[in-house]
Amino acid sequence: MAIFRWGQSWDPFHDLEQELDRLLQSVHQTFHMVRSARNFPQCNIIETPSAYIVTAQIPGVEARSIEVTISAGCLVLKGIRRPPEESREDSYRRRERFHGAWHRKISLPDRVDEDNMKADYSAGILRITLPRATPGRARQIAVNEGP
Amino acid sequence: MNEQDGQLIPRRSDLLPATVSGTASPAGTPSSPEQPQLLFHPQMDIYETDDGLVLYADLPGVTLDGLELQVQDKKLTLFGRIRQTADEIVQVLHQEYQIGHFFRSFILSDDVDHDRIEARLANGVLRVSLPRAERAKPRRIEVAGN
Repeated sequence: MAIFRWGQSWDPFHDLEQELDRLLQSVHQTFHMVRSARNFPQCNIIETPSAYIVTAQIPGVEARSIEVTISAGCLVLKGIRRPPEESREDSYRRRERFHGAWHRKISLPDRVDEDNMKADYSAGILRITLPRATPGRARQIAVNEGP
Repeated sequence: MNEQDGQLIPRRSDLLPATVSGTASPAGTPSSPEQPQLLFHPQMDIYETDDGLVLYADLPGVTLDGLELQVQDKKLTLFGRIRQTADEIVQVLHQEYQIGHFFRSFILSDDVDHDRIEARLANGVLRVSLPRAERAKPRRIEVAGN
């Protein structure tokens, strides 16, 4: 499911979630625990004067194993985060980190210059820069009088 | 190993700027991504191996120079500092995670060999191996006959 839809600002669940976050922030300890079972990886999207920047927290994977594709205004991120080979299922004393295949699909807010998009992975954060497409020239369409 | 961070995080004035004090930003003001002032518990895995315990912690955005790992009086403390990004933000379009530093501490049990603790940080994940002290390993005792 797309996590972001342009022009669809009325989203009661998103509002509710934000309110809940705000409340939980004041109870510092619970904040992360309660909300840790969310999507993996978690993504932020910001707009800068020249580009949209998508960042995702994906610690502990190899850069080349991350699959980033874009088509029809949708950005798709895919990959697998594997548990360490030496660990056995029954040897865990504490297990909070996500492991397994992950997949995120993000609808982009506007047209982007797909040829010049750039993705960097460093310190566990994937950062995708999507330059905004230069607006095409408006085309005049002649209106013919019907029969 | 007992987790010790059930209580409020102590103020660490020597490490943190005045804005970071173990509590979140004032309610109602969504923190903008370029101003880290929150403190999070990193998510962790701990598993046992033949040699001891291994701890993994997710510290996305933390690099080697921003990480402090300390053992003092059986207490293992990790503090990961996030660097601010310099993006000129016109608008935050979507926000699922907030940016902040990472802090967590544990009390190590007596059978961890403090001198042989090793840590490695790669791709935003910290791995700490906590080897069991020799004397804590099970030792087979030969039983002599008469």
